[in-house]
Amino acid sequence: MTLPIIFILFLGFLYLGSSAVDVKGHVSWNDVCRGKFLPSSAVASLTIQYPGYNQLGHSRVVLDNDKHSGGILKDGSFVIPNVPSGTYLLSVISHDYQFEQMRVDVKDSISFEEPVVEIRPYVLGTPMSPASTILLPYPIKLSARQRFNYFVPRDSFNIMGMLKSPMILMMVFAGALVLGMPYLMKNMDPESLAEFKREQAKMSHAQSALQSGDFKSGLSALMTAASGQDQASSQPPRVQTATKSKGKSRRR
Amino acid sequence: MHLHAITLLLSFWLTPSFALHESDAGVVDWHKRLVGVPNTETIHTSPTFHSVSTRKRNSNIVLTATKSNVLAALNPLNGSVEWRYVYEPRDNIVTFQKQDSVVASLSGPGGATLRSFNVFNGDMLLERRLHEPETGLLVQPNNLGTFIAFGKQSNEIYTLTNGATVNSINGGTISWSWTSGDQGSQILYSTISASDDALYVVGLESSFASYVLHVTALSPITGQLISSSTIPSHISNGLDDFLVLSRTIVWIENGKIKCFVLSPLLKGKTTVLQDASYKKLLDIGLGSHGLFIALKDDSSHIVSCDDGDLVPVRNFEGPASEVSYAGGLSKDGYPFVSNLHWSPNSEVVTVEIYSPKLASLVIEYSLPFDAKTHGSISHVAIESATDVIGRLFLTTTTGAIQVWEQDKHIWTREEGLSELKAAKFVELPERLSVLGGEGRSEEGFVGRLIRQAKDVKDLPNYIIRFAKRFATGSYESATSSATFSAPSSSALQLPYRDAFGFRQILVVSTSYGKAYGIDTSNGDILWNRFLGIGQDPVANAVPFGDKLFIVKTVGDADINSEAGPEVVILAKSRVEENVLLFHLDALTGQDILQPSTFVELLHGSIHDTYMLQLSGKKVIVLLDSELKVHLYPDNAESRELFSNATALSVPLRITSSQGHRRLVGHQFITKPNDNGRSEYFAFPTWTLSLTEGHDVQAIINPIRDPVASIGKVLGNRTTLYKYLNPHVVLVLTTPHSSTALTSNAHCGLYLVDSVKGSVVYEATLPTEGNVCNVKATFTENWLIYHYYDNEYEDIGHTKGYKVVTVELYEGKQIDDKTRSSELSSYSNKMMEYTTYEQSFVYPHAISAITLTSTKFGISSKDVIVANANGKIQSFSRRLLNPRRPIGRKPSSEEQEEYLVQYDPLLPDDSRKVISHNYDVAHIRSITTSPALLESTSLVFAYGLDLFLTRVAPSNTFDVLNESFNKVQLVVTVIGLAVAILVTRPIVMRKKLREKWYS
Repeated sequence: MTLPIIFILFLGFLYLGSSAVDVKGHVSWNDVCRGKFLPSSAVASLTIQYPGYNQLGHSRVVLDNDKHSGGILKDGSFVIPNVPSGTYLLSVISHDYQFEQMRVDVKDSISFEEPVVEIRPYVLGTPMSPASTILLPYPIKLSARQRFNYFVPRDSFNIMGMLKSPMILMMVFAGALVLGMPYLMKNMDPESLAEFKREQAKMSHAQSALQSGDFKSGLSALMTAASGQDQASSQPPRVQTATKSKGKSRRR
Repeated sequence: MHLHAITLLLSFWLTPSFALHESDAGVVDWHKRLVGVPNTETIHTSPTFHSVSTRKRNSNIVLTATKSNVLAALNPLNGSVEWRYVYEPRDNIVTFQKQDSVVASLSGPGGATLRSFNVFNGDMLLERRLHEPETGLLVQPNNLGTFIAFGKQSNEIYTLTNGATVNSINGGTISWSWTSGDQGSQILYSTISASDDALYVVGLESSFASYVLHVTALSPITGQLISSSTIPSHISNGLDDFLVLSRTIVWIENGKIKCFVLSPLLKGKTTVLQDASYKKLLDIGLGSHGLFIALKDDSSHIVSCDDGDLVPVRNFEGPASEVSYAGGLSKDGYPFVSNLHWSPNSEVVTVEIYSPKLASLVIEYSLPFDAKTHGSISHVAIESATDVIGRLFLTTTTGAIQVWEQDKHIWTREEGLSELKAAKFVELPERLSVLGGEGRSEEGFVGRLIRQAKDVKDLPNYIIRFAKRFATGSYESATSSATFSAPSSSALQLPYRDAFGFRQILVVSTSYGKAYGIDTSNGDILWNRFLGIGQDPVANAVPFGDKLFIVKTVGDADINSEAGPEVVILAKSRVEENVLLFHLDALTGQDILQPSTFVELLHGSIHDTYMLQLSGKKVIVLLDSELKVHLYPDNAESRELFSNATALSVPLRITSSQGHRRLVGHQFITKPNDNGRSEYFAFPTWTLSLTEGHDVQAIINPIRDPVASIGKVLGNRTTLYKYLNPHVVLVLTTPHSSTALTSNAHCGLYLVDSVKGSVVYEATLPTEGNVCNVKATFTENWLIYHYYDNEYEDIGHTKGYKVVTVELYEGKQIDDKTRSSELSSYSNKMMEYTTYEQSFVYPHAISAITLTSTKFGISSKDVIVANANGKIQSFSRRLLNPRRPIGRKPSSEEQEEYLVQYDPLLPDDSRKVISHNYDVAHIRSITTSPALLESTSLVFAYGLDLFLTRVAPSNTFDVLNESFNKVQLVVTVIGLAVAILVTRPIVMRKKLREKWYS
């Protein structure tokens, strides 16, 4: 049997811990990310304690491109261990929830104390420097901003929606006009009725002429009809304005 | 002003993008949540049963760490994944231990990180960095020097890391820490054993010719050293030769087993079992009962070492393999041992279960294990379901895990699918229509007339059926399930396609030497095939990555022949360096080659493989390490085909004598060999010059789909002609691993003309620590790449992931046309093109990128990416148009092209997440395939998990919208008909009256 020799390839450097710091924070459960209370089961007692965790699932808080990371624990807390000084972009890798991103500055302090961690808000897509003047409290407090919605609702059959559509409205209007016309005609005074009939006859003549292919006479008939109309409208109102407006609406 | 807004709105409204309805989830897509193949290298990562009896419930789960770096809990009753935690690749699991409701793991070099989870639901209770990964002990095997032990309570965890440091972690905080004397000492601790009186840390101290056991006893409360002493011993084989049971240490010394009883002051004495022929000790997880297995050459023993008395409890005759033993505890706490007898040629596995306390055989049975499907058994775990019946958890060499209850098979999970080497979509043939008479073609005119006259009697029925179907029948929509109910007939029915070609077969090969045929409609495994290599039934070949070719599609197959599509898988035999070729029927997985199941193509390694497709024939071209060409099928026809293929040129990644990987273009020449037969060789023609100290990381072939249009008509009726050079390949470069970190180290991305070696497009991307993680894809004239940019200090810069989209157009300006798709690469005009590019900020890391692919290329192409947060997301081409106007509203001409104003942030629209609620972990690659519907593309993502869905980038324009309301249409038509019937008499009456009274 071969000797499974213990290969000690590399026995590390002595770690100098002075310039690195553990970045700490916690996720606070809010209305966006809050679990449902499960009734009387073994898990329920734990769920009540940290309602958001079961909703959030396994998630991690990372700096930059996952160079440093820390998992979110059941109580919502996280620790990103041993972050050297520098400027970082903090983001949360979570499947279902969106969190805000932050700018994290780890600065060496002049004295031999722990480095200082500064947290600033950061909007993705904006330049990182100059840094925002707003300082957020440390330890970091994160909260879910929204739950991702993956689905679009199916557009269902909606009778009101159908009625509201312009085509239907036009149809209804035309239908109403057709039905209402005889009554309007009945209520009209004889003079304007005669004028209306005359115009209608002209129009129908023009239409029939156009349909029969006689464009010239059709066009001329149309022109005369239009000019007649113009004359009619340019004339001072001989009858009540109300009647005239009725006539106009009829022509439509 | 408002007009602009309205047109913008309209442009969005008129081209609605594809989005998923909640009711379609699980119908159009499927997701296989895998955990990976259990890591059975050591007992501390192998599968183990865990049962916890609390007042409220009595739970049983199987815990395992896997080769995919996942800690998983499986339900032994149905095989479902209770929970899993996916570790990062750099943070590999080295050991895990469980107690009561807690499972704790150490991961990373030397056990850098301790995590603990709730056993039932996977809630992470604790994460604690014990030392920096950089200072971790890099040893082989990597679990060496790490150990976890629990105290009385499961929140008291003792860890041994780096082979030297013991930490006591209580409720998340380190209560004490102890590091062995000096760093330079020769003692490497490997195990800890916790008791009430002391915490024993056991390790090996290297001495002249062998190792000596060293034990340190610490106080469990304060961590103070109680005593430390060397046990007189000679251990030659290192760690394999000693075991730490709960109160004793046993080891082999010159074939004798010795046992030392642990006490805080380490004053115990050594007992010896005088039988000088033991070879090896096996830990079967019964250390708490002082039991272990000792192997000899021709027999093996269950040995007990309780309080220093070494007693061989039971003998087994015959040679035994190491995997055949497993230990467990019965419900009432009695230990038992199982022994599996199995030979590769037999179809059955005999299981014997002993209860050593009774020193008798409890039960013996055999179970039918199919070695031709699953290979051999690599690990066994056992649990007693009831007092007698054993529940076995088997891990096989092909990556399958199985649970058996006595001789009853309960479930199998094919975890080998977590390591796919290659995946290809294969179209299915149409269902064979069952037409009436045979010899239909021979019937004459009279015969046909008579038959049709006979058929007329069915006409009324047909009309009624048609009317019924017209009024009520449902149509297949783009989101209907493509699954078919299993045929009721017992005859083996070959899979056939659905109306729109959503049902295809996905042929995949795994690194565990198996090939599978997966139904794309529901993810079921239609066939699986063990890539065996003959003599030894359990030996199999390892497929090469991406070397899977469809040599015959449905379109190629003769209409008359029964044969379906065929695939070829190239694999390497494990034992010798041979390249093997398996030729399979894609519908059944059966061999096309008879009687031998594979062809041995060449001896040695292959450099690259291509599939040459000319005049409807397909030939596989292999280049061996000496750049000699091998063809499959190797016959006169394919040689002729290859020689006719003029001006073939291939770019190859060649390792230079200095160890640098260069991109070298090759062409083929023919040389006659000794037998007078001509052989083909590749010879170099050009070399891509890279910056000093940079290597070619990958060559990405462009996605070759049908090109529907050769240009893009702009709003002002001018045209941009696409630069469609068919020889362009995408090359990624990385700094050479041996070069020091220099300021000019960068990642490179090149588009290279593979005939001439000219660089069409070049980008220098930032690197961090000489690591390049650029993801890119290229099709037609469109290149997209994704990288991480760490630069932030300059004004306007920002840290984060960037996506760059590049489009190449012919000529120096708009309307220039060079016919690039037909030009020779040597033409000067080939280098006349214009580049448009824009870069965007994207919030996530991605692990794979590809484009959708449709049958004719008319639908626009969406970009599909796999995000680091377990999602597969699509992006509309419109957002990635590099001609989006910057800093101004689009003009009316640009609006006609649907250009929207440039925004540096690529919107992270969750409704474009095509994997929706599924957590699709660690995707390595995405592949797409056209369906029969032009609008729709199938997307298959694989990595740890498998995920398949359909997408329609330009919406399903070629099929009736699923929101189309047939009832409404029928009701409206009927309503109008009724209205006509009702009003017709009224109108007639009115007309009549008018004639009378006018």
